[in-house]
Amino acid sequence: MKSAAPESLPKTGQRHVELGRQDEPSLLNLLQDLEQQHGFVPRDVSDEISRVVEIKLERIRRIQSKLESTTRRDVLQHVDRWRNEEGNLIMILHAIQNQYGYVPREVAMELSRELGVKLARIYEVITFYHYFRLQPPGAHNITVCNGTACYLKGSTDLLNETRTQLGIAEGQTTTDRQFHFEVVRCIGCCGMAPAMVVDGKTCGHVKATDIAGYISTIKAQKGATKK
Amino acid sequence: MKLTRENLESIAAQPLVDPPEWIRVQLDTGGIAAGAEDAFSALANLRNERHLGFTMLRAGSIGYSFADPVVEVQTAGMPRVHYGCVTPDVAGSIIVQHIIGKTLIDDHVIAARTRSLEISAPVTHILVRDTGPGSASKTEFFQFSINEELKRRGLSNRVQVARALDIGIYNRGVVVQLLPSAVTYANVLAPDVARIVAESVENSRVLDDLLWKTPDKQVRIALRHCGDVDPCRLDDYLRRVGGYQALRRALFDLTPEQVIAEMKASALRGRGGAGFPTWMKWQLTRAQPAAQRYVICNGDEGDPGAFMDRSVLESDPHAVLEGMLIAAYAMGSSKGYFYIRAEYPKAVERIDRAILEAREQGLLGENILGSGFSFEAKIRLGAGAFVCGEETALIASIEGKRGSPSPRPPYPSVRGLWGMPTAINNVETLACVPAILSRGGAWFAGYGTATSKGTKVFAVTGKVRNAQLVEVPMGTTLREIIFDICGGVMDDKEIKAVQTGGPSGGVIPVQHLDTPVSYETLQQLGSIMGSGGMLVMDKTDSMVEVAKFYLKFCVDESCGKCAPCRIGGYQLLQILDKISRGRGGPDDILLIRRICLAMQRASLCGLGQTAANPVLSTLRYFGEEYKAFIDGGAAYARKVSRVPAAGTAAASAPPPVPAATAASPASGGTVS
Repeated sequence: MKSAAPESLPKTGQRHVELGRQDEPSLLNLLQDLEQQHGFVPRDVSDEISRVVEIKLERIRRIQSKLESTTRRDVLQHVDRWRNEEGNLIMILHAIQNQYGYVPREVAMELSRELGVKLARIYEVITFYHYFRLQPPGAHNITVCNGTACYLKGSTDLLNETRTQLGIAEGQTTTDRQFHFEVVRCIGCCGMAPAMVVDGKTCGHVKATDIAGYISTIKAQKGATKK
Repeated sequence: MKLTRENLESIAAQPLVDPPEWIRVQLDTGGIAAGAEDAFSALANLRNERHLGFTMLRAGSIGYSFADPVVEVQTAGMPRVHYGCVTPDVAGSIIVQHIIGKTLIDDHVIAARTRSLEISAPVTHILVRDTGPGSASKTEFFQFSINEELKRRGLSNRVQVARALDIGIYNRGVVVQLLPSAVTYANVLAPDVARIVAESVENSRVLDDLLWKTPDKQVRIALRHCGDVDPCRLDDYLRRVGGYQALRRALFDLTPEQVIAEMKASALRGRGGAGFPTWMKWQLTRAQPAAQRYVICNGDEGDPGAFMDRSVLESDPHAVLEGMLIAAYAMGSSKGYFYIRAEYPKAVERIDRAILEAREQGLLGENILGSGFSFEAKIRLGAGAFVCGEETALIASIEGKRGSPSPRPPYPSVRGLWGMPTAINNVETLACVPAILSRGGAWFAGYGTATSKGTKVFAVTGKVRNAQLVEVPMGTTLREIIFDICGGVMDDKEIKAVQTGGPSGGVIPVQHLDTPVSYETLQQLGSIMGSGGMLVMDKTDSMVEVAKFYLKFCVDESCGKCAPCRIGGYQLLQILDKISRGRGGPDDILLIRRICLAMQRASLCGLGQTAANPVLSTLRYFGEEYKAFIDGGAAYARKVSRVPAAGTAAASAPPPVPAATAASPASGGTVS
């Protein structure tokens, strides 16, 4: 039986490596070919394939558990800091958002387990407050202030221009996850209205015509760092 | 090291002596956004490069937001001056010209607001600025002619003439200030130059006909240390401004009842907007039997356009903490919370540091100063919900829940945080407390009107020339605040209205500008004091749009718990939107009034009750504009909305509203 092993199957020794590199569809194709050729799948081949699949699965499991344990560790760390304080949920959420930039679902789930609070309760709080996000932020954040002072001095134009330039509405992220566009109520810089925050840097007395410049500067920087 | 009573007493006896030469950079959020940190590092680098001996100091903001970043310079042989708009380049000139060259820098000096009536020392510097219309065009000419006159008299080596960025007087022609005594002449004409030089500069005689005698209208109590004290160093607060002496007085010389009596004498009312007497709040909380009472400092400054709480927290955090400690002592509380917006990271950072330092030095914790009184303060962050400025919602938020308000009574002073009696005080209120305790309630009550005592901080922004923080005694008129202190409307346009109180307030039209500011008068005008935001609007701003803007804010922020606010606000916004598109009908005004009434009467908390205020007050004073939208239809709406709201391109566009509008105060009534 062994001598009847198909030619397409490489010799032992090389075999592991070769099979290990196969992705799922090509493994399936291989099985199909063998079955067509011989009417059955040779034992050593099926063993080999199941072994390779097992290795892959194991690797995925390991990554997953590593991720889980990181999440767990982070959550534990934040919870421990606030463990004995009453009404700590909002402060823990702040800590989590500071770390991740948003509140990932698996972290919220872990937090719910750790605090013994229902997940719905946690989401109730997250969705009530504007400050907490459920989506990861973009690589670059553009925030336009729409406080009253900025509004009177023309933040509407800035909002329209940013919308046109980025092609997204406020609260959205561009499809390439590069830009996130946000509107805030007041950043407290009313003296230099209209103001906007580009990647943490506050720009005052902004004109609508400046915005294209800000965006292209960021894009240019990105190009430079890639090279 | 823990401080004791004796330590504090000895600190009070030895005030801080500053080094003879220093530069103080004002680092608050506004300043940093404008580049104060760049200026700071530029100055520090140049000092090291040139091996200069001056000291670099840090402070919060004095409130001149229009000139951020602001730097204050003291050096031998020169008057102490504030420089505004200090870019790194200007920082270079400060070193080269001011520190080394001993000359003032043109176009960056902000003149001191305290002015003198007599020349006490020989004149060394002259500041000049044309404050008339036409963007200071005559300043250079006057600088030149004064210089020529000085040369003619052989004084040009002794006296320098500099152009000022801002001289604190507006629309009074050319203003000249003689330093160091700060004698100020207004409405100076070209022929006066020779007299000024001959009499005042040469012979130190004051020219009475030109002298500007009006004293500065500002009185700084809540802002008393802002811009002077280093917010990140407790030591500076203790030694420079006699910090925590009021606490010492309260703990050792007064009983809690006496503290409350002192507050009663001051007649301080809550500065968060509602104006409830502070002493009564403390009294009620104190009277409630409970195992634990809480003090909360409300720093959830949600009003867009108001930034005084942020500025006080960032510039003078220890004053607020000291106020909280005194409040806690008066009420018998041992735990307090600072509830601060997460959008104010700098304020959070500085309060955090203040708490840490105070704890290290024994001003927080067990047995403070050996008095037996113990207190612990913590920070809780807001998370971007305007309704959390409302006290019951704020309490829910501190408890870690969503910030839904709950009906009152029971008031927080009876059942507040975790069911315990709680007193919630605004940042500004607490910042006033140490000043009242150290100078006496009667002193504080000496300012203000019969019912509203003391001073109030306003953040004047919008279409105003100098957007800044202003602290004035109650009873100062809106016109004085906007025109005399802040320089009037930007680009010399005509003022149309002032909006006070943020989204819960209303607009005050131009004919009521001479109203003295107090809790009652503003309420009569259909607005509120609020936390102190003051938005100036000029003739190009459409009031329907402004009402829509504020209402949109309230609708977005409504927590949705009660129907009048959730549904009423939304429907109201739909109607306003319809009107502003020119599709409104004559019945809409009536409907607006009915919805507004329902919201005011039936909403659960202050947010819903006051959300209709901007709409009602614009309807009351600018009903004509609503009518114009309804009568004019879509064509009119298109014409108006083509005018950009910005000052950028709006200059050439015609004002959208007939000028007669503002002159008809009761027009809102006639429309419906």
